[in-house]
Amino acid sequence: MASLTLDKVRKAFGPVEVLKEINLAIEDGEFLVLVGPSGCGKSTLLNLIAGLETSSGGEIRIGDRVINDVHPKDRNIAMVFQSYALYPNMTVRKNITFGLEIRGVSNAERDKAVDEVAKLLQIEPLLDRKPAQLSGGQRQRVAMGRALVRDPDIFLFDEPLSNLDAKLRVDMRTEIKKLHQRLGSTIVYVTHDQIEAMTLASRIAVMKGGILQQFDTPQNIYERPNNMFVAGFIGSPSMNFIDATLTEQNGQLAVSIERPGSPITLPLFEAPESYKAYAGKKVVFGIRPEGLTHKRSSSEQNGSQYVNFDSKVEVIEPTGADTMTVIEIGGKEIVARVRPDRAPTPGESMTFSADMSQISLFDPETELRI
Amino acid sequence: MADIQTYSHDAGWKNVVLRGLLYLVLILFALYYLFPLIVMISTSLKSLDEIREGSLVSLPRVITFDAWNYAWNEACVGVECTGIKLYFWNSVKMAIPAVLISTFLGAINGYALTKFRFKGANIVFALLLFGCFIPFQVVLLPMSQVLGKLGLASSTSGLVMVHVVYGLCFTTLFFRNYYVSIPDELVKAATIDGAGFFTIFWRIILPISTPIIVVSVIWQFTQIWNDFLFGASFASGANAPMTVALNNIVNTTTGVKQYNVDMAAALLTGLPTLLVYVLAGKYFVRGLTAGSVKG
Repeated sequence: MASLTLDKVRKAFGPVEVLKEINLAIEDGEFLVLVGPSGCGKSTLLNLIAGLETSSGGEIRIGDRVINDVHPKDRNIAMVFQSYALYPNMTVRKNITFGLEIRGVSNAERDKAVDEVAKLLQIEPLLDRKPAQLSGGQRQRVAMGRALVRDPDIFLFDEPLSNLDAKLRVDMRTEIKKLHQRLGSTIVYVTHDQIEAMTLASRIAVMKGGILQQFDTPQNIYERPNNMFVAGFIGSPSMNFIDATLTEQNGQLAVSIERPGSPITLPLFEAPESYKAYAGKKVVFGIRPEGLTHKRSSSEQNGSQYVNFDSKVEVIEPTGADTMTVIEIGGKEIVARVRPDRAPTPGESMTFSADMSQISLFDPETELRI
Repeated sequence: MADIQTYSHDAGWKNVVLRGLLYLVLILFALYYLFPLIVMISTSLKSLDEIREGSLVSLPRVITFDAWNYAWNEACVGVECTGIKLYFWNSVKMAIPAVLISTFLGAINGYALTKFRFKGANIVFALLLFGCFIPFQVVLLPMSQVLGKLGLASSTSGLVMVHVVYGLCFTTLFFRNYYVSIPDELVKAATIDGAGFFTIFWRIILPISTPIIVVSVIWQFTQIWNDFLFGASFASGANAPMTVALNNIVNTTTGVKQYNVDMAAALLTGLPTLLVYVLAGKYFVRGLTAGSVKG
C-alpha cells in the first residue's frame, strides 16, 4: 500500500504530445479513476505508471520513491488488462502464481497464496482449467487474482469491465468496490464509462486531449464541473446547456433565456460573487435533467430555490423510474426528469420547476465555469 | 404449391447431374496428377526383363523389391557402389539441424520484431523480407568464398549454414506474421509479473506457437531436403546430399540403364518429405483448431 504522485508528467510520441503536464496525487488506499473519451491519454498515463512506457518529462512517485527509471517488475505494482491477458498455455493456478514463481517464491508459499486468492474471488473450482475453458466473467476474476496474489503497492486496472456484457459488468463493478473496501488497497482504474467512474472512485480525474480537465471527488465533479466538457461528460442523460444572458435588476441577478413570445427569467437567489462580473453578458446556463422537474407543490419546495416556467413538450422517454421529457427552449432540446405519474403527453404545455441551487454557469468563450 | 414441387424436383435432378460432372472433372485431375507416381511405383517393382518386354503403363506381373534393395545398398554413385543409403544419412545430417536452427532463429526474430520493437525494426524486417526474393544462383559465388574462409567448404556443416542463412528470411516472415496477431498485453502482463525477454519467449510465446512451428518445419524441411543446387555446389563426393547422389545414379552413362533402380532411388529420395507432410500435416490442422474448440 502506498500513495501515488504524478508531478508534471509529460508524454510525447515524436512531435505529438499525448499528455501535457499531468499533476495528480492520491493518498494510500484511495481509488483513483481516470476517465475520458478514447484518445484522451488515460491508458497512456496508466502505462506510464506501470512502466510499460517511459515518460518524456516529469516525475512519478510511489510513496517517496521516484520510479521513472525503475523497471515495471520492481515497481511493486500489478495490472489487470482489458483483454485479461491470461497466459493461454497455463492453467488458472499457473497463471496466478507465474509472477511469484519468477520472483523465486517457494512452492509452499505459492500454494498458500493461490488458495487465499481463489477463496476470496470464489474461483477455487477453476484452478486446474485453462483460460480457453472459462467464461468472460471467470477470466476477469482470474486476471484479478493474478494481480491480488502479489499484494502490490498499487493496483492498475485498464478498462477491466469493457469486454463483459452489461449485466455482468454491473455485478463485477460492485465486486471490485467490495474488494477495495475489504483490502483498502490503492487503485488506479481507467475507464471511458462515466458511471463506472462515479460509482467506484474516491477521486476522479477527467481527461481530454492529454489535458487533465478536473481532479476531484465524484460528488464535486458532478455538482461543480470545472468546464463544459466535464459537465457534459459526467452524468447521464447529460447536462442541458442553454444560451442565456445574465441580467441584473435591483441587485437581483437572473438568467434570462430568449424564446418566441416572452423570455424565461430564472432569478438566482444565492449568486456567488464571481457571477457579478458577467452581469449583462452572454453565458451558458447548465442544468442537469433532475434539476428540471414537474411543478413542485409549495410543501415540496421547502428550503429549495425552485422557479416555475411553462413550456410545450416535444417528446417523452419513459425509463420506468423517471420519464425523460424533451422540451425546446432557446432553440435547443432540453431534457427534464419528471415523475411518471406527473408525465405529460407530447404536444401538451406544462409547468416545469427549475432548481436554481443545482445550476452551473459557463463562459461561452472559454467554456470554463463562472 | 404444385409449382414449387415441380421446380424443386427439377432442381434436385439438375443438382445430381452437376455434382456428377464436378466429381468426374475432379477424378480426372486427380488421375492426371497421380499417373506419374503410379508409373514410378509400378516400374520400381518390376524386374529389368519385364520392363524391356512390357509397356510403360502395365502393372508388374511379379512384384519384386530387388530394385529398392539395389538402390539402397549397391547402386553406383560415380565410382563408389555403396548404394544411396550413405547419402540418405548425409541429407538427414544436413536437413535436421538446418530445419531446427532456422526455425528457432525465425521464432526469436519474429518475437523480437513484434513484441520488443526497437528503433529500425521495420527496416530490419524489410531487409529480411528482401532475402526471400534473392534467387539461389545469385549467392553461389559469394557464399562459396565465405564457406572457404570459414573452413566449411565441401562439408555438411557448411551446407547447414547455407540453408539456415537462406531459410531465415522465410521462417522470420512466418513467425512475425503469427506473432503480430498475439495481443501485446500478454507480453505486458508477463513483464509486470517480472519475466524478461527470454523467459517470456520460452514460457509464454513458444508454447502457443505450435501451429506456426509446424508450418515452418514443413516448409524448411521440404526446401532443404529437395535442394539440389546448393548441395551440388557446396558439397562433393562422400558429403553430397541425397538429391545429388540420385542425379549421379540416374545420369550414369556406363552399363545398362536400370529404370527400376532409378525409380526406386527417386522414390526413396522423395519419401521423407512425403512422410513429414503425412505426420505433421495432422498436427498442423490440430494446432490450428485447438484455440477455437472450447471445453
